Amino acid sequence: MSQTIIKDLIPKDELLASGHLACPGCAAPVAMNLVLKALGPQTVVTLPACCWSIIAGPWPQSSLRVPLFHTAFETGGAVASGIKAGLVARGDDETTVIAWAGDGGTFDIGLQALSGAAERNEDIIYFCYDNEAYMNTGIQRSSATPWGAWTTTTPAGEPESSPKKDMVSILAAHGIPYIATASVAYPVDLVEKVKKARTIRGTRFIHILAPCPPGWKTQNDETVDLARQAVQTRVFPLIEIENGRTWRLTVDHAGEPVAPYIRRQARFKHLTDDQLERIQADVDDRWERLQRRIQYGT
Amino acid sequence: MKKVMIGNHAVSWGVQRSRVEVISAYPITPQTQIVEELSDMCADGRLPARYIKVESEHSAMAACIGASAAGVRTFTATSAQGLALMHELLHWAAGGRLPIVMADVNRAMAPGWNIWTDQNDTLSQRDTGWIQLYCETNQEVFDTTVQSFRLAETVNLPVMIILDAFFLSHTSEPVDVTDQEVVDEFLPRRVATYRLDPSDPHAFGALVRPDAYMEMRWQQQEAMRDTLQRMPEIDAAWGALTGRRYGAIEEYRTDGADLLLVTSGTITSTARHVVDERRDRGEMVGLVKVKMFRPFPTAALRSALAAAERVAVLDRNISPGHGGIFAEEIRSALYDVPLEDRPMLFGYVLGLGGRDVTPAVIDSLVERSLTADPPERQDLWVGVEL
Amino acid sequence: MSDSTERDITEPKRGGRDIPPIAVSRTTTEVNPTGSWKYIQPRYEDRVAPCNANCPVGIDIEGYLYLLGQGRTEEAAALLLEENPMPAVTGRVCHHPCEDGCNRANLDQPVAIHSVERRLGDIALASPPPAAPDPVRDERVAVIGSGPAGLACAYHLARYGYRVTVFEAAPEAGGMLRLGIPEYRLPRAILDRQIERISALGIEIRCGTAIGRDVPWSELDRFDAVFAAPGAHVGKDPRIGDADNAPTVRAGLEFLKEVNAGGRPALGDHVVVVGGGNTAMDCARSALRLGSEVTVLYRRTPLEMPAIPQEVKEAKIEGVKFRFLATPTVARSRDGRLLGIECQQMMLGPPDESGRRRPLPQEDGRFTMLADCVLTAIGEDCDLGFLPEGIEISGGVAAVDELCESTTARVFVGGDAADLPRSVADALGSGKRAAIGIDHWLRERAGEPVEPLDLAGLRFGANGNLSIARERGTDPLHRADPVNEVAGWESMNPAHFRTMARNEDHFHAAGDLTASFGEVNFGLSDREFRDEVARCMNCGVCNRCELCLIFCPDMAIHRREDGEGFEIDLRYCKGCGLCAAECPRGAMAMSREES
Repeated sequence: MSQTIIKDLIPKDELLASGHLACPGCAAPVAMNLVLKALGPQTVVTLPACCWSIIAGPWPQSSLRVPLFHTAFETGGAVASGIKAGLVARGDDETTVIAWAGDGGTFDIGLQALSGAAERNEDIIYFCYDNEAYMNTGIQRSSATPWGAWTTTTPAGEPESSPKKDMVSILAAHGIPYIATASVAYPVDLVEKVKKARTIRGTRFIHILAPCPPGWKTQNDETVDLARQAVQTRVFPLIEIENGRTWRLTVDHAGEPVAPYIRRQARFKHLTDDQLERIQADVDDRWERLQRRIQYGT
Repeated sequence: MKKVMIGNHAVSWGVQRSRVEVISAYPITPQTQIVEELSDMCADGRLPARYIKVESEHSAMAACIGASAAGVRTFTATSAQGLALMHELLHWAAGGRLPIVMADVNRAMAPGWNIWTDQNDTLSQRDTGWIQLYCETNQEVFDTTVQSFRLAETVNLPVMIILDAFFLSHTSEPVDVTDQEVVDEFLPRRVATYRLDPSDPHAFGALVRPDAYMEMRWQQQEAMRDTLQRMPEIDAAWGALTGRRYGAIEEYRTDGADLLLVTSGTITSTARHVVDERRDRGEMVGLVKVKMFRPFPTAALRSALAAAERVAVLDRNISPGHGGIFAEEIRSALYDVPLEDRPMLFGYVLGLGGRDVTPAVIDSLVERSLTADPPERQDLWVGVEL
Repeated sequence: MSDSTERDITEPKRGGRDIPPIAVSRTTTEVNPTGSWKYIQPRYEDRVAPCNANCPVGIDIEGYLYLLGQGRTEEAAALLLEENPMPAVTGRVCHHPCEDGCNRANLDQPVAIHSVERRLGDIALASPPPAAPDPVRDERVAVIGSGPAGLACAYHLARYGYRVTVFEAAPEAGGMLRLGIPEYRLPRAILDRQIERISALGIEIRCGTAIGRDVPWSELDRFDAVFAAPGAHVGKDPRIGDADNAPTVRAGLEFLKEVNAGGRPALGDHVVVVGGGNTAMDCARSALRLGSEVTVLYRRTPLEMPAIPQEVKEAKIEGVKFRFLATPTVARSRDGRLLGIECQQMMLGPPDESGRRRPLPQEDGRFTMLADCVLTAIGEDCDLGFLPEGIEISGGVAAVDELCESTTARVFVGGDAADLPRSVADALGSGKRAAIGIDHWLRERAGEPVEPLDLAGLRFGANGNLSIARERGTDPLHRADPVNEVAGWESMNPAHFRTMARNEDHFHAAGDLTASFGEVNFGLSDREFRDEVARCMNCGVCNRCELCLIFCPDMAIHRREDGEGFEIDLRYCKGCGLCAAECPRGAMAMSREES
């Protein structure tokens, strides 16, 4: 059918159990489910403090059917490095070791450990599922929070005033073998990227956009559509970068206007039309720079 | 194999003989030679370990935690600022019951920058749940390093081996590096109770509510209590193989002593001279060396110290707002001794920031302690000149 | 002194809870019934695709397209044949209102359902015929007329187990299909085979037997019910103006009957066809094949032409000329030979009772055209004189209810003879409704315990035709909680579809076709057929795409073990609604939680 048949492209292993504690409509378990399907059961996950620390389930439960190591907030990159070294030391070079962190634990407090691991080209896959704020602690801004957004520490009277930190460029500068961005609205693209990452040695970084209904102030059933619209408006382009040098887009980006995407999220409802124009100009500018990178590499 | 080596290298050789599998390394004076030597050993194949050149001490401990959770033997080393940076994760290692071994070169905490020895760095971490073993000589450093792996893996608690900056770390002493076969007999491969294993998947460290957290901490405490037995047992087993044993505490010429000094680290060696001189003059002065600070050997210390009339504790550390830490813990250990038998306690604070503690200084403290009235202050600072 | 039975709370109590030394998991989160969080919940709710709702025959088009997409061709054919006795015919001549309702038009172009049906009809014809059903009923039914309405009624009644006799006035069966539709649109071989398949169900077709003319109505008294579908065969008066016209001013339908019976009259060099419907197009293109130059004269504009647009297009490609807003006023002849016609240019005024704008004469708008022959195709009338009294006739057609029951019990009337839209599809649809009505009436009369017919439940949507599959319960597809609403474009999620150009039928090259009455439309290639089937969006009906499963954050959707769709585990579903929001085809709905 002209609907892309994706069910045959998504592995059928169920490595994530029901009964987890994610909010209704949360993108984070959708992302985890797809990632685990792509990686398969021979995977170890380390999970620094983030929403998923709670979603995973309290002791004595676990919603993952692979080993899961909860760890301190800033340690994702470092603990994953240690786990991988340990597994290799005991003769297992096949199990995939991943870090699964939120934007806070990646962009902010976890940046050092991630950079260290990337610089050493540790043989891990680092996943950042990005809901654009410290959601687990109640919606405080992070350096992933987009310009203009409300959070509890960037209230409507003085909303977020910095642009979203460009993690992908930071990691590209490390020259690691593989970087990708992904969206839960494009499950096949996400799964293919993860499968590809799995075959590469060295540090791989995958940044997944994960809309959050309470944090973005949207309806529970809008999550996938938001994740789609973010791509189609080019706010969150889906790309791959190899060795920090070769950039490419992996889906078509229609280039829809940004305003409807922003306006439907009540975390932006205080923005004026001028501010929306600024956001559009910023998106256009970043897209243009991305096009240059795609064309010329870095 | 007998070699003259600096204390830091004694650590390295201890790690090498213990067949450590993953090492994480971040440099800080005065620990650097530990990790440098290990780097050479890994590079030339003497030690086929994975060596992770982490980007901070916090990540060094994080990497150890990860590797230890994967079920392998792990090691790192640090000092002062680095140890302080790791603080959060020291709790994690202990609460996670991971048998990580770490060498800390006792160095004073900044500010101002001070690379010389005192004990505040390790003693600040005394509540994190790590076993703490203080060493007096480079030989003891080597022996303790090897023993620590067996101890850690027996009780499933992390162990800190502690050696004084420069006085041990950078000072050469002869060390008998025990043959690999003997060490292998003493220290088998680690068999982890829990480990990350895709064929038997579990989650580790999830949210624990008040209704169960306490039970897990109780078990951790029980393991610490068990260590009071295990450490001497393991030490004795090592002694049987090598002829060298140290004990959780050591009583040196304590019989009939009127005054007992209590020391740890290299001050002990200096104090032994003073005790010998006094004893040679017929004075009843003895020395109790504390090697194991955590778990605190309360019963052993109470038993060793109760008989004396006076006890002088030499603390190369201070808990601001309280007293020298060994002194306060010993004071607390002596609380249950009936009042009439309880020794007079002098808590001396000295040698902070690496200030030299000479035999003359110790001797003057001995002199003072033999005759002074019970002190009004709990912490008597030695040699302060403003 | 403490009581020895009272536990000292500083003594650890052992056993029972078995707390491990570290927080190591020992169970899954499946012990948490997170379904308790929801206040709304999803369900699968199959609705009606707009093609089904638009089809006058009442075919489950979406259903057979789904089966074709699954490679279940035999079942697809069976589902189609459940409703439509002659898909190889309709796939060639139907005006396909299904395509007018196709949601895909909002994305790129409608699915070429017509082309797909033709192929599936041909596949069915090429396959072994189904076994004739046993006549399990005692009752006998008479059907008058073997056009699409009569044949459909006979077909469905035979499948119900009745004994049916069809009375056909003409020498061969087929009605308008044979008499009125030229072979280049509907090859005789196809029609013959299709009729054979129908009669092979045990239906007796008595040709050359006109009720009223050859057999009196009273002969039908021995039948338990009668379905009259005599069609509309009487062409309206073709004469132009008041004067006597030449013999070459003929009713188009008469001309077609002659040609379709094998005749090849020479019409002369210039032929004018008057009219804008399918009959006019058939006349024009047949005349072209007989060697004439043909001009179609229509009194309104192309927008108002009732002919199927594809027919008009083909006529143009073949070389038929068109003149709009013109009507003939006077036929000029000499010595009994037509020379030409005078015409009046028209313009469009306000709409008439049909809703179309009325043509009005334009001042000074007279002109003449050369013509050797004029064929008028301006409508047909019924000959209902043979019907007994008591049957209400109004406006030239019989008044009937939805089940084609006339005002006289036992007598049902359908097709062009009833007050219904006129098309092959509508005729087939009416024959089916009559069969359902006759069956119900007969069983009631026989004293059997019959439930009243739930017509609303049998219709596709509010206004579609009735479904035999629903009536007989033979729908091969599991329908989750079917709801009889049409799934319009607003229920679709277009984000999940990519555009694919519509595949069009292949035609004879225009230059090759004159003088030949061979079929001009070759249909789709195999690949085009498959691609076109793939363009169906399965509006309103779950097609097992599994997007709901993939997007469910709680893994609360599972494949049914019987393979028929999915079920929602309400123990874990948190009611977020992502499944229903993302469903590409509106086959899910949310509602308040049921306690």
